[in-house]
Amino acid sequence: MSQLASHSPGRSALQGVREAIPLLGGYIPVALSFGLVASQAGFSTLEAAAISTLIYAGASQFLFVGMIATGAPLWLVVAMTLLINVRHVVYGPNLAGLLPRSRHWPWLMHGLTDQVFALALTRLPQLPDVKRFSWFVGASLLAWGAWIVGTAVGATAGEAFTARWPLLGEIMPFALPALFLTMVAPRFTDKRWAAAMSLTIVAALGLTLVGGSNVAIPLAAACGALCFYTVKFQNKRRAL
Amino acid sequence: MSTALWFAVVICALGTLLMRVVPFLWMQRRLNSETGINNMPQWLGILGPLMIAAVLGVSIVPVNPSAISWVATAIGLSATLLVWWRLRSLGWPVAAGVAVFGLVELGAAL
Repeated sequence: MSQLASHSPGRSALQGVREAIPLLGGYIPVALSFGLVASQAGFSTLEAAAISTLIYAGASQFLFVGMIATGAPLWLVVAMTLLINVRHVVYGPNLAGLLPRSRHWPWLMHGLTDQVFALALTRLPQLPDVKRFSWFVGASLLAWGAWIVGTAVGATAGEAFTARWPLLGEIMPFALPALFLTMVAPRFTDKRWAAAMSLTIVAALGLTLVGGSNVAIPLAAACGALCFYTVKFQNKRRAL
Repeated sequence: MSTALWFAVVICALGTLLMRVVPFLWMQRRLNSETGINNMPQWLGILGPLMIAAVLGVSIVPVNPSAISWVATAIGLSATLLVWWRLRSLGWPVAAGVAVFGLVELGAAL
């Protein structure tokens, strides 16, 4: 009762906004780059911003614009874009038990990116049930807004911006690995989780380095899951 | 953009949205329903944190990979971990990590 009485949706949304701020360090430089790439590929600022507003999935947007620029057939562009985004399928079920039922989810889930998922999966279990909906709205809307604004700025002034502050585009994205490290670190207290997590991180890093960043997340997570179950099997055998 | 191109954008947007919404709503309806399941399947509970670890692995690669940026990444991540170890929060470790990473990059550039 006291939890319900002291709950303010606005305050919970602001908490979500505040906790999503570290995501912007990664979002803004990538959004600026996308805007720049899109404008160089012949898209207007409005069109680039519309792509960011509607599709809102970083890697697939770069692919979409790149394939259009090279004159690829539209059906192939659509198929490849959707294929890259298939990884999002496993994000929703992971959050289903953490979020309350609402008629707004069909549009709010538009904000479920890799980074928002990672933040939500870490923070939602630590929040009271009544705060979770507003927290998710605040966090996801900030990320979405930053992505759209970053794209528009990148399309209009990206070239001048990167020429003036070349190092900023390299330093700010470091907020993302730093943030994700603080999210996975608590799991390293358990040996079984530590082994699975380490393998996943190394596999994702390796796949990205060899140019497979589009499949790195699901493949590396699958490797980690395999490791998780294998280690359990070996422990059982030793115990026997 | 031509009408066909706008159509392609809309199809991509709708397809991506459906991939985010449908599994979420499906699982939410199944959870705690009489005919469904009471708890999240174990494999999904394991896959979630591993996906975060995978996103970490992907994001570790510097924007412009070079010896300096890799060293800066290693030092920055160590600083992040150190501050996290002391404070166990999300904000300060990230700020410290970015600051240290930036200092190493700026120091190398001078």
